[in-house]
Amino acid sequence: MFKDLDPILHSQLRLAVISLLISLKEAEFTYIREETNATAGNLSVQINKLKEAGYIEVIKQFKDNYPQTICRITTAGFKAFEDYVKSLQTYLSVKK
Amino acid sequence: MTEEKKLTEKESLEIITSMITRAKCAYDETGVSALMWGIIVVFCSLVTFFNDYLHWQWLNYVWLLTAAAVIPQVVIAIRERRRRRYKSYDSVTMSAIWISFGVGLLLFSYFAGLYNVPHAESVYLMFYGIPTFTTGMMTNFKPMTWGGIACWVICIISFYVHFPDTMLLTAIAAIIAWFIPGLMLRAKYLQLKKENV
Repeated sequence: MFKDLDPILHSQLRLAVISLLISLKEAEFTYIREETNATAGNLSVQINKLKEAGYIEVIKQFKDNYPQTICRITTAGFKAFEDYVKSLQTYLSVKK
Repeated sequence: MTEEKKLTEKESLEIITSMITRAKCAYDETGVSALMWGIIVVFCSLVTFFNDYLHWQWLNYVWLLTAAAVIPQVVIAIRERRRRRYKSYDSVTMSAIWISFGVGLLLFSYFAGLYNVPHAESVYLMFYGIPTFTTGMMTNFKPMTWGGIACWVICIISFYVHFPDTMLLTAIAAIIAWFIPGLMLRAKYLQLKKENV
């Protein structure tokens, strides 16, 4: 039987965020917003969902007197992404 | 990018590929460090070469410039770190490689000074090749990969050449390994900056 695709990751923006963070050690919110072409509000909501699932870590700090939000993928996030890709491969190989 | 859209498996795979590619292309080196070190090493090598004819005592200390250049290098590194809005695994590894190179060079200079190591210039050239080649390979920036290889080829040649001609070889290596790639990186960076305005 097929394993269900992780509903947290199986969403356009959340998957884009995780896919971007998987290759980087950390990234600022503004950088993620530019790379995903998302609106700040939408991105903020999706980042919160990823954070609540324990897939990313969000660090809020100040840089040159301006607030800065840094996102970093967690070990659970890496694992979830790996599982998601494996499930995806299973689906795609059966569909061929 | 909107959240509500229902994804197919194929679309998921496309998103993953596209975002990973974007992150891989995120290397945005300004070229300032490569240019600075290229100029300094070429300058010091040529001064040492001509001083073999001039015999001006104080010019023997010209290589101290490389030690002094560590200060602007640290300032550049801090400024670039503040400017960057992401940190890649590659950039962390490269920083570690260049720091190791700097420490290795410093230790070797100390021992070379103490024990008058023969063919020290060749050993320096071998050192220059290591981080240059690695950086080129990691960032897929071919001029630097070739620059690193050029350092090793020139290192072999330098074994058969005597001082002060080895200084001319060092200058050539610095031009190929750092100055030219630095110019190219700078031009690319300025072009990208212009496009993003």
